[in-house]
Amino acid sequence: MRKIYRVAEREFMETVKTRTFLLGLLFVPLIIGGIMVFGDKLAPRKDAPREPVRVRVTSASEPLSEKAKAVFEEYNKSHPSAPITFDITITSGAAAQEQGKKALREGRLDAYAAMEGDLEGKGGEVRLFTYKPRPSQVDALGTVERLLREAVINRRYETRGLDRKMLEEISRVSIQWAELGQEQGQERAQGQGQRMARMMVPFAFMYLIFMGIVGMGQHMISSIIEEKNSRIIEVLLSAVSPFEIMAGKIAGLAAVGLAVMALWGAAAYAAARWQDMQIDVGADLLVYGLIYYVLGFVLFSAILAGVGSICNTIKETQSLMMPIMLVFVIPMIAWPRLAQEPNGELARALSYVPPATPMVMVLRLSSGTEIWMGEVVLSFLVLIAGVLIATWAAAKVFRTGILMYGKRPGAGEIVRWLRER
Amino acid sequence: MYAIELENVCKSFGAVRAVDELSVRVPQGCVYGFLGPNGAGKTTTLRMIMDIIRPDSGTIRLFGEPASSPARDRVGYMPEERGLYRKMTVTAVLNYFGSLKGMTAGQLRRRGGEWLHRVDLAEHAGKKVEELSRGMHQKLQFVVTVVNDPDLVILDEPFSGLDPVNQDMLREIISTMRREGKTVLFSTHGMHEAEQLCDFIVLIDRGKIVVNGTLDEIRSGHQANTITIELEGDAGFVQALPMVQAVKQDGRRLEVRLRGDADPQELLRVLVERARVRVFEIKQPSLHEIFVQLVGGGHAEDL
Repeated sequence: MRKIYRVAEREFMETVKTRTFLLGLLFVPLIIGGIMVFGDKLAPRKDAPREPVRVRVTSASEPLSEKAKAVFEEYNKSHPSAPITFDITITSGAAAQEQGKKALREGRLDAYAAMEGDLEGKGGEVRLFTYKPRPSQVDALGTVERLLREAVINRRYETRGLDRKMLEEISRVSIQWAELGQEQGQERAQGQGQRMARMMVPFAFMYLIFMGIVGMGQHMISSIIEEKNSRIIEVLLSAVSPFEIMAGKIAGLAAVGLAVMALWGAAAYAAARWQDMQIDVGADLLVYGLIYYVLGFVLFSAILAGVGSICNTIKETQSLMMPIMLVFVIPMIAWPRLAQEPNGELARALSYVPPATPMVMVLRLSSGTEIWMGEVVLSFLVLIAGVLIATWAAAKVFRTGILMYGKRPGAGEIVRWLRER
Repeated sequence: MYAIELENVCKSFGAVRAVDELSVRVPQGCVYGFLGPNGAGKTTTLRMIMDIIRPDSGTIRLFGEPASSPARDRVGYMPEERGLYRKMTVTAVLNYFGSLKGMTAGQLRRRGGEWLHRVDLAEHAGKKVEELSRGMHQKLQFVVTVVNDPDLVILDEPFSGLDPVNQDMLREIISTMRREGKTVLFSTHGMHEAEQLCDFIVLIDRGKIVVNGTLDEIRSGHQANTITIELEGDAGFVQALPMVQAVKQDGRRLEVRLRGDADPQELLRVLVERARVRVFEIKQPSLHEIFVQLVGGGHAEDL
C-alpha cells in the first residue's frame, strides 16, 4: 500500500509539472471564456460594409416591379455601406432570361431574378440565378432573396385590399421569459441563449467526465511508454510489483483528473453565476459523478496500461486504441438524443456498455429526469465487473509485456499470457 | 543461511529453454560471479531472483524467504539496460527509488548525500538527470541501486559500458562492500573482473551450470600442463622425455606441454638431474582458457 502511494504521488507530481499538462489545463477554460466574451465579435454582422451586389430583375407585371424597386431603394437608404445596385425591367420570356444568364456568365451581374407566372395571385415563382458566387456575397444574396419576397408579399396585400400595417400589429405579441430566484421579488429576464445554455448543462457534466477519463489516459500511455523505453521499468520492478506500479499510476492520474475536473467544474459554475444563470448541482449528483468517474477511469486506464505495456511507441498504441475510443465517442456524438430522452432505449442500452457507462449515466442523472435507483445500482455493478475484468487482464498483460521490446506480440500470444497462472 | 538459494529453477520462453534445472547457493558475505556466453540465461536468472519474472518451476529464496517477500527490500538490483527518469532531479530520483525500497525521509537525506559525495555527484544533486554526462548517469544508476544500504547487491553486467575510471570505482566499491559483510552477485563478460573480485564463480551455458565453485577449486580442476623452461646447454633431450607431449622453441626458452596426467614436479626432477635449470615456470591457466575449454565449440568467443 505504501509503495502504491509512492508511485501515485510521483505520477501526480510529475504529471502536474509538465508543460503540456498546464497548457491543456488552461486551454479549455480560456477557449470557453473567450467564446463567451468575444463570441459576438466572431458572429457575422448583418450590416458589414461590402462591395455593391449587382442584381437584375425581370417581371412581366408593372406594379410588382414598382414594389421591388421600392423595397430595394428602402434597403439601400438604410444600408449605405452595403448597397445593392439593381436594374428592373418589365419583360418576360425565354429571350429575356437568356440575356440575364449571359450577363451573369460574363460577370456583369452577381444575381439575376426572373419573376414568373401569377405571383400577384397565389402561384408563380421567383427564379434566382447566380454564376460562381463568391463566399463573401452569400450573405448579400440572402438579402436579395428576402427583399424580393417582401416585394411579392407587399403586392399581394395590395391585390387583396389588405392593410399590411394593421396585420403586423395583430401578429405582434410580446412574450417575456423570466426565471424566479429563491426569494420573493427575485426574478431575471431570460433570453433564448440562456435556455440553450441550460440544455448544455448535462452535456457539460458528461464532457467533464470524458475529458477527465480520456485526457488523463493520454498521460497514462506516455508515462508507461517513457518508463518502458528508458528501461526504468526493470529498476522499478525490482522494488515494486507490476500490480503496484499499475495501481499507483492509476491512482495518481485519477487524482490529477479529479483535480482538473474540480477546477474546470468550479470555473464553469463561476462563469454560469457570472452570467446570472442558476444551476443547481445536487450533492447526490456530485457523489454519483465521483463514483462513476473513478470507476470509469480505472477501467479505461487499466486497458491503456495493458495496451501501453505491449507497445514501444505512442504511435503503436494509437492504432490499438481506436476501437476503444469509438465506444467512448458514441455518447459524445449521441448526446442531444440522450439529453432529450434520458430514459429512452438508446440511453438505457448505452448505460450498460462499460466504457460508455460513466458518461451516459452522468448525462442522464444531470438531465433532471427521475432515474430509477435500480438502474443506477445495476450500472455500478456492470461497471465494477468491467473494472475487475479489465484490471485482471491488464495486470497479466502488463507483467509480461512491459519487459518485451521489439516486435509487438500477437493476439494468440496475449491469450497465452492471460491463461498463465 | 544463504543470501540466495536457487533450487532446480526452470524457465522457458516459448520453445526456448532459457534456464534449465539451475541450482546455486550464494553464501552471505561473498562476491559471486555469474559468467556465461550471450544467451546463456544470466539475465533471466537474475530477473527471477528479483521476482521480475517468475520461474516455471523450482524455488528461489532470498535470505531464506520467498523472492516476492519483503526480503526484496534488502536487495539492490542494477539491470543491464539502465535508465532513470530524465526529467527528475538527481535528488528526486534517489528519494523516489529509496522510498520505494522502504527508506524514510531522514535516512534518505543522510545516506543519499553520503553516496552522492562518495561518487563525486554531490555538486550535481540539483540537476536534472538529462543534464548529466554519460559517466555521471552511470554513477547515479549505481547509487540508486545501493542507496538503501542493501545486504545483497545484484548487478547485471555492471562493467559493460563503463569508462575505465568508473570501472575502477566500481571494483573499489564492490571490494569495500565485501569487507563490510555484504553479498554481491554480478554477471559479467569480463574474466579479468571475475578473477580479481570473485570468491565464487558459476559458469552457465544454455541455461545449465557448466562449473560452479571457488576460483581455486575451478583452477585445481584444470591442472596446468604448460611449463616454460630455460636450460644451460643443449636442451634437445627434453623432446624425448616420456611425460612430454610437445615442445615449442621460444627464443632461448622452451614451452613444454605435458601429457594429460603428468606431474610438473616429475619433469623438474628429471631436468635437474640432466642439466642446469635457469627458469622453470608452471603457467596457471587463466579463467578464460578454462572456460573456453569447458564451453568449447563455436560460441566460446562470446565469453
